[in-house]
Order: sequence, then structure tokens, then C-alpha cells
Amino acid sequence: MSYLVKLDQFEGPLDLLLHLISKSKVRIEDISITEITEQYLGTLHRMKQFDVEIASEFLVMAATLLHIKSCILVPRSKPDPEEEEEADPKQELITRLLEYKKYKEAGSRLQEREAYFSGIFYKLPEEFYSDGGKEALPSDVDAELLCLTLLKLLSMKKGSAARRAGPLIHEIKRDPITINERMTQLREYFVHCSQTTFFQMFQNDNTKEEIIVTFLALLELLKENYIALQQEYPFEDIVIKRRVANG
Amino acid sequence: MDEREMMAVVESILFVSGDPVDARDIGKILDLDLRLVRKLMKKMTDCYNFERRGLQIVTVNDTFQLATRPEYSSHIEKYIGQERSQGLSQASLETLAVIAYRQPVTKADIEAIRGVKCDYTITILHNRGYIQEVARLDTPGRPILYGTTDLFLRSFGMSDIDELPPLEQPEQPEPGTS
Repeated sequence: MSYLVKLDQFEGPLDLLLHLISKSKVRIEDISITEITEQYLGTLHRMKQFDVEIASEFLVMAATLLHIKSCILVPRSKPDPEEEEEADPKQELITRLLEYKKYKEAGSRLQEREAYFSGIFYKLPEEFYSDGGKEALPSDVDAELLCLTLLKLLSMKKGSAARRAGPLIHEIKRDPITINERMTQLREYFVHCSQTTFFQMFQNDNTKEEIIVTFLALLELLKENYIALQQEYPFEDIVIKRRVANG
Repeated sequence: MDEREMMAVVESILFVSGDPVDARDIGKILDLDLRLVRKLMKKMTDCYNFERRGLQIVTVNDTFQLATRPEYSSHIEKYIGQERSQGLSQASLETLAVIAYRQPVTKADIEAIRGVKCDYTITILHNRGYIQEVARLDTPGRPILYGTTDLFLRSFGMSDIDELPPLEQPEQPEPGTS
């Protein structure tokens, strides 16, 4: 499993390539694409065996290497002057590797510097508190009045503390009665007397919730065709009757 | 006020401040122009170094800060009884190197050089305060251009970005090796 740990430290496909090149002890400029491609793919294969998740960048590089290799293997019938001008993919890769190597090395030099200079300690700044005497009030503010107002506010707060505590806590009450319960009540009511009026219905309901529940219960009963409504004139009391057919 | 006194004043101010003190602020206090402040600070820094004092004056971009000397870090660590926090990872150092040498630089440029995604390392460096957004490139998407900070210079022992050690010149690849 030690190999797994070793694989982990490659920072990317270029890093892996540099590692392979330094292992085969050739100059970057003299790499053999065939060899390096084989080694590269071999490493990816081993990474797979060890269940190391291979980042997409590694696969892109594998494709690039195979592309370069195929370019070398396939002989060109005749040199095309236009293609000559195109960048040589192998040369491009070499340039990238050389460029990457510069920054990798610069990175390790920075590491040395970081290790050395992190041994420097600094002091925290002294803390200063502004002294109140220097702070000036705006000219249109009377200091004495301000002081009195503050004291007044403070004493008010004390007195009203109990009162203030109330509205801050909002209590969610359980419905005093459900629509279904009210419907049952109304059905029982209509068993005894077959007729009532809309206004009479709400005589016993004193909270807002109860009025709403009663109203909704009435609508439900109406929907069920349990009751029938009748109104002589607009704004007149509505007569509520139990439907005989339903009984 | 003679030079000795001025140095003493600066020393006490640096002590109280703890943070870097701007050359202009020193100039205001001592009633000196910037050129003379720099000269005074140079002399003072040399003096600290010559006497190999426990403290040194760290200069970064015309700011001055009192600090301990790295040579004595092992003794300080023994005193505080704890080791230094871990340094940056290899990946972060590479990204930092690209930004330091190529600044101002976009994320895409960094990724092209390193051949891997750099979002994570950029975040790390940003959180450490080593890099900052310096501008935005005037191209589609207006990508962020990154550069290093004064904290980067201070943490890596440079008083100016010009002191960055030269990026080794690559050996010229022979043309047409394929």
C-alpha cells in the first residue's frame, strides 16, 4: 500500500510526468514519447487498481500523450507547408513541462523561505481606549436634557418590564372547537328544532374563532345538503332549515 | 532632536504599534520628509542587525515593524512550548509561486501552467492573506486578476516584490527535436 501513498503526492499530470522523466534520468527535451506514454498509462492503471480516483486532468494528459504518439507513428505522405507552421504537439508538451518545472521549483524555494521566516514573531498592537472627555456633543444638543431623558427612559423601562414581557411572547392557542365538532353540534341542534336563523346561530359564540368555526361548519353542512337557506330580502336574516329529505 | 533621539522615538512607536508603521506617519511625527525617514530607518535597521539584537526591524513596502529574529525562533518556541503552525502544502506553494512571478494573473492562467484546477489552493492562499484580487481583466467574464499582498512579502522575508528570487531560466529547448 506504500505505493498508494506515493501516488497521492502528484499535484497533477505535469507533476506525474516530471516524476517519470526524472526517474528515467533523461532531460525533459530528450523524452521518448513512446516510453513516457507507456509509463504514464501504467501509473494510471495502478492508480485504478488501488481505487485512487483519477482526476479528469490525468485523463486529458493521457489523451494528449496518445495523440502525440500517434502523430509520430503515422508517417506523413508529404510534408504539408501549412502543417509545418502548426505547433508541434510534442514541443508544446515539452515547453509546458519546462514551464511547470520552473514554478514547481520556485514553489519549493518559497517553502524554504516560509519555513525560515515563519520563525519571526510580531507583537500585537497596544489597545487604546478613547477617553470620554474629548468626545463632543453636537451643538444643538442640551447635555442636561439628554441626561434627564436617559434617566426617564431607564426608569420607564423598569416599570414597564412586566408589561413588555407579555406581547413579546406570542401564544398559539389550540382551536377552542373544531369545525367537525361544531358540525356535530349543529346536526344535534337541527334534530330538535328544524329551523333557525343566521343571526341566532351566532348568539352564543363570543370569540372570533368560534364565530369563524360556526360559519365554516354551516358552509360544510350546506355543501352536504344537510341544510337549506332562505332569505326574503337582501340584508335580512337568513332562515336556516334542515332538509327533510336528508333526515 | 538629534538622530539618536529620533531613533529612540521611532523605536518606542514601533513597540507601541506592533503593526507595521508607515514611513509617512513616522515623517509626520518627527517632521521629516520621506527621504530622510527612509535614511533614518535604514540606519536604524543596520544598527539592529549589526548588534545582532533579539529584535529586528522588518521593512515591507515603506512600512516598518518590530519583530523577533528568525535565528532565535527555536528558543522562542521552547518558551511558548508549542511548535509553529504547519506551512503551505506543495500544491498551494506552486500556485503561490505562479501568482508571485506572473502577477497580475487569472485563475485560468494559473491552471494552464499547473495543469490542474486551482480553486481550492487559491481559496487557501486568499484565506491566509497571501494573495488578493488586484483587478479584473477586461475580457468576457471579467476574470479576477490575482496578486500577492504585503503579508506575503513579510511572511516570505521580502521587503519588496523585486526581492523575489529570480525564476530560474529554463534551458532553451532545441528546436525541432521530434
